[in-house]
Amino acid sequence: MTSFSPRSLQWLPFSPKSLISRLFTTITLFLCLAGSTFADTYDENLLLQPLSGQFLLASFNFKSHGPIQSFNKQLFELFPRSLGQILQYTHTRELHLRFALGRWDSELWGAQPGDGQNAGGTGVELWAWVEAENDIEAEARWTSLNNALSGLFCASLNFIDSTRTIRPVMSFSPTGDFPHMNKTDLFLLHGTLPKEPVCTENLTPFLKLLPCKGKSGISTLLDGHKLFDASFQSMSIDVRPICSPINGHCDIEIQQNIDMVLDISRSLQRKDSPVPRPRDQHELVCDTTKSYASDEYCYPLDNSFDLPWSLSDLFGRSIAGSCPFAVKEPQTPHVCIAAPHDRQVHPTEGTEIFASQDGKQCFILRENQIFDIALPKQEPPTTPLRQEPLLYAERSFTGHGQEHGGVKTVLRNPSLKDSIEVVYLESLPWFMKPYLHTLNARLLPPPLDGDGDVISELYYRPALDRKRGTQLEAKLVIPANSVVIVTYDFEKAVLRYTEYPPDANRGFDVASAIITIPPHRRGSDRRNVPATSIRTTSLLLSLPTPDFSMPYNVIIFTSTIMALAFGSIINLLIRRFVAVDEVQRMDIKGKIMGLIGKVKKTKAE
Amino acid sequence: MALRVPVNLRQNLSVVLYAFQALSIGAVVVGLASLLLLPLDEYSRRTYISENALLPGQVHAYFGGSEQNIVRAFRREVESLGNSTSNVVAERIAEIFRSANLKVGTQRYSYKAAGGSYTGENVYAVLHAPRGDATEAIVLCAPWKNIDHILNEGGVALTLALSRYFKRWSLWSKDIIFVISSDARAGPQAWVDAYHDLHGPNVQSLSVKSGAIQGVVVVDYPGGRFESLHIMYDGINGQLPNLDLINTAVQISRDQMGLRTDLQEMWDHKDTYNHRLKTMLRGMVNQALGHSTGPHSSFIPYHIDAITLATHGEGWHDEGSLGRTVESVFRSLNNLLEHFHQSFFFYLLMAPKRFVSIGTYLPSAMLVAVGLTLTAIRLWVDPRSRSKVEVEEVVVKTDEKKGEKSEGGKVVVDTVIDSGPKRQLFLPLSIVIGAHFCGVIPFAVFNWIDYKSMANVFYIFIVVSVAFPTLLSGLITLTTSENRLLPTFHLARCFSLLFLGMFLSTLATVNFSLSFLIGLFSLPLMFARPTPTSVPLALLNSILLQLTSPFAALFIVAGYWGLGVEDILKEASFGWWVWGMWTPVIVWCVWWPAWVVGRISVDASFVMSVTRKGRS
Repeated sequence: MTSFSPRSLQWLPFSPKSLISRLFTTITLFLCLAGSTFADTYDENLLLQPLSGQFLLASFNFKSHGPIQSFNKQLFELFPRSLGQILQYTHTRELHLRFALGRWDSELWGAQPGDGQNAGGTGVELWAWVEAENDIEAEARWTSLNNALSGLFCASLNFIDSTRTIRPVMSFSPTGDFPHMNKTDLFLLHGTLPKEPVCTENLTPFLKLLPCKGKSGISTLLDGHKLFDASFQSMSIDVRPICSPINGHCDIEIQQNIDMVLDISRSLQRKDSPVPRPRDQHELVCDTTKSYASDEYCYPLDNSFDLPWSLSDLFGRSIAGSCPFAVKEPQTPHVCIAAPHDRQVHPTEGTEIFASQDGKQCFILRENQIFDIALPKQEPPTTPLRQEPLLYAERSFTGHGQEHGGVKTVLRNPSLKDSIEVVYLESLPWFMKPYLHTLNARLLPPPLDGDGDVISELYYRPALDRKRGTQLEAKLVIPANSVVIVTYDFEKAVLRYTEYPPDANRGFDVASAIITIPPHRRGSDRRNVPATSIRTTSLLLSLPTPDFSMPYNVIIFTSTIMALAFGSIINLLIRRFVAVDEVQRMDIKGKIMGLIGKVKKTKAE
Repeated sequence: MALRVPVNLRQNLSVVLYAFQALSIGAVVVGLASLLLLPLDEYSRRTYISENALLPGQVHAYFGGSEQNIVRAFRREVESLGNSTSNVVAERIAEIFRSANLKVGTQRYSYKAAGGSYTGENVYAVLHAPRGDATEAIVLCAPWKNIDHILNEGGVALTLALSRYFKRWSLWSKDIIFVISSDARAGPQAWVDAYHDLHGPNVQSLSVKSGAIQGVVVVDYPGGRFESLHIMYDGINGQLPNLDLINTAVQISRDQMGLRTDLQEMWDHKDTYNHRLKTMLRGMVNQALGHSTGPHSSFIPYHIDAITLATHGEGWHDEGSLGRTVESVFRSLNNLLEHFHQSFFFYLLMAPKRFVSIGTYLPSAMLVAVGLTLTAIRLWVDPRSRSKVEVEEVVVKTDEKKGEKSEGGKVVVDTVIDSGPKRQLFLPLSIVIGAHFCGVIPFAVFNWIDYKSMANVFYIFIVVSVAFPTLLSGLITLTTSENRLLPTFHLARCFSLLFLGMFLSTLATVNFSLSFLIGLFSLPLMFARPTPTSVPLALLNSILLQLTSPFAALFIVAGYWGLGVEDILKEASFGWWVWGMWTPVIVWCVWWPAWVVGRISVDASFVMSVTRKGRS
């Protein structure tokens, strides 16, 4: 490891400068490792999972731990200093930040990875437990947290103001441990920005928080072009304290996750040509059993085989060796693939294969050794593993027009045996005013005993115009194999013209509803199910909007006319009209006489 | 303080009356003439793209090549399903969509109108925009049978092929929904109603949904190779899609694809005055009828801009050209940042690239309506609206009063506000209001009866509505005292015309063409007065009124399309029950009552001449 092998030099297209810096890092690292002064531990893991419909889920997980004492003393080792200082300054004890784009197709792909705990609604979502003495202080710290994070992540988090902040009561509970803290001093605040377009400018600061900063290890795969072409992608940061129940030592943990779902066929095709031109005739897979099948007619056959792919095909590059911080004894796997058993997986030669666990094949990365996985074309296609989600949720607007509207959420419990308790949370902007009396939860099929009351608990915080939004939290019980349809009507407020955003008027995004399923036991074996959360898609609310260019035109026109009229009228009014012969001739002599006259006058006074 | 008419004007009231008459006739003449001026270059404008985000025709369209093989294969599949029931069709189409990895839903619907039942099953698929957030969607629709009930082979096959082709693009910012509606009239309506959860109990809810629909393109392509694209744009109740959408389609097909575009079935548009006028008038007829001209019509009341691209004729263009056109239009729609709002929603098109906007054309309908209102005002001012006997009494009274005042030599505030004889308002108002209430009867009858009995009921109704005003005028003539007889008819006409005039000017801002055409047909009402002294004039008036009655209009419309009257009535009933079309309401509850009141006045002349009443 002290010297680069000729092979590894080949793949190092770095300039000498970067080579030196790399060497320097390695040496420093060596010194560090030799002294074993590191108290922080770091893990990174990539899980690849083919999904049905020729999709691939890539879940990146980066996790580091460190003693909370050194964190409190601002002794940051692997914990990112920039983030750590913000958290300390704002007294944030637990932080959850989500960036998401696209939607998770649970019909096709099944349950979300990590029980949906790592995914947020479209746009940006942030919730945190802030330590404060009272509500006002908490609010102030929350604002400074948002502003600081906004700068750190290049996102408009500073727009999370009081109108977008809610304080969920039932939906969230802390995941960290707070043994030495008074629970009443912790304030939970939650804000969303559904309109925020997540893009590369958010990825770069995200990668900078990692110890290897995307230069080595699995994070080398994270290229903005590929990440943001994914059908679904979510980035998350979770910071929480963890205490050992045995000795009471507390650690601070930061977890960074990226889940992305790649459309394999689209990614492969993008590699060949950015434009999906019609395929050549011989590339088409046609159904030759059709009576009309010929050169002119082609009934296309789909999904007749599994597409061949490799990491470098999909991500545009392969993994550039392991991240030095993630090399540990005993060894932990870095890359795992959960392909169906009958699918062939070919890692790069010489890769150490870790003992496979629960159907996954895992591999350990070596430093400075490129790693790639190739899956060949497979005919007939394999069936990817799919875990049935606990709940399907879909939300849409009903009605049309500029004045009123309705929201309809369909919650379906696919389980045939177990009923499920869920908490439904809506955070609505103040200009969308729901009528609580229209809130209705209908059970399909209707219950036999006629007791159709599905809402067991309701928490509602009404909106105040321009001050805060509506928060609606409802606890529902959905019986097995049935559907609950939650509907309510709302009124659209008329905004002041300055309240419209200065961008193109696409409409106003309404944040995703958050559906939380608390931890419970289910099935005949009473197995534990951890807390799960599901988010619906966001909605686009169109409000009555003036044609802004029109008033401006009118203003410009009227102003011009007024200026013209005013100018000429004032000109007429203040001007004294005299005949030409009345005008006094003012030659030099006259002027001098006038001056003398003035002087005399003043003297006389 | 009382408003007093200057004495000289009161004495010469006929000057005012003539001025009013001249003004009202002048308004109508100018209104009609200004409509005829619209096709001229000076009054119409060239179309232009107002929304810069659309960028029509700025991208290369790639559809073609091997994709056409797929279209041809799908066409064979569609052909083989030609005679199947709609659920078999829906199942097969759903299977094809599903194999392309799209989210598929089906929807059964059933409507009842004019004794007929309209059932079918729509099938649709949602292509999730990669990276999209399900907030917006655009729709590509192909009816299984087009508006002429011909199997839309090419359209359905092309939609199926495009659904696979679009899936391969990364650039979609909005979801794309592919709808194969069971027919061209009820199916799209059921689908769009259910999409907004505003459907009736006989229409199934949609299982899969997406975001707010921003635009709709319908493909109607039953034949093989074609010559030109016919763009249909009229919506229900004369609502129109945003002009930018039409301009985009026209610009793409003409300038990018070299495909001729036609409007309003003008297959040979030479861009002459005659052709422009004809296109405009055809557009106005469609707008006035407010019916559906294709599957796109159902979307427009939901403020979703929609057009139908129908192929026409035999030429050298094939599914590739149409596919590329649709692809390019979708690329433009995909560029939209905002809902269509930039361009006009109120316009009359007279050539694919020439239009007049509301500011230019509105005065003509308004002037016709104003003509009617002015006539009503003239009738009110006219001293003949006052009863004769009381005229004398009141005149005497006022004279006495005046005498008293002058004798007293004091300035007393005049207590007689409306000096002069009183108008008797009860009978005329009851006639007008009664007639308008009676309008509900034909409206209800024609919406509830069966198609089979429709023609007979209609002829019975004509007889009734010809005889009814005559009987009524006879009744009024015989029961009312002679001095109040003529003022009664006079005031009835006044109120009826006032209501019609005001209603039409309001309607003109919503549905210009309907307002204009009803105004045009109602012009004889301006002159329909009781003429007890001249029976031939009354006869002439009566014939004129019959020729411009709502029935005559119905016969004209039937003749224009070569259909029976019962078909038109069936269409109206279908329109009311399925599309929520308001034209029958306006015809039966606004126009027909006005016509009845006109008839009462005219027919009174015959009764009067027979009874020799009111001739003095």
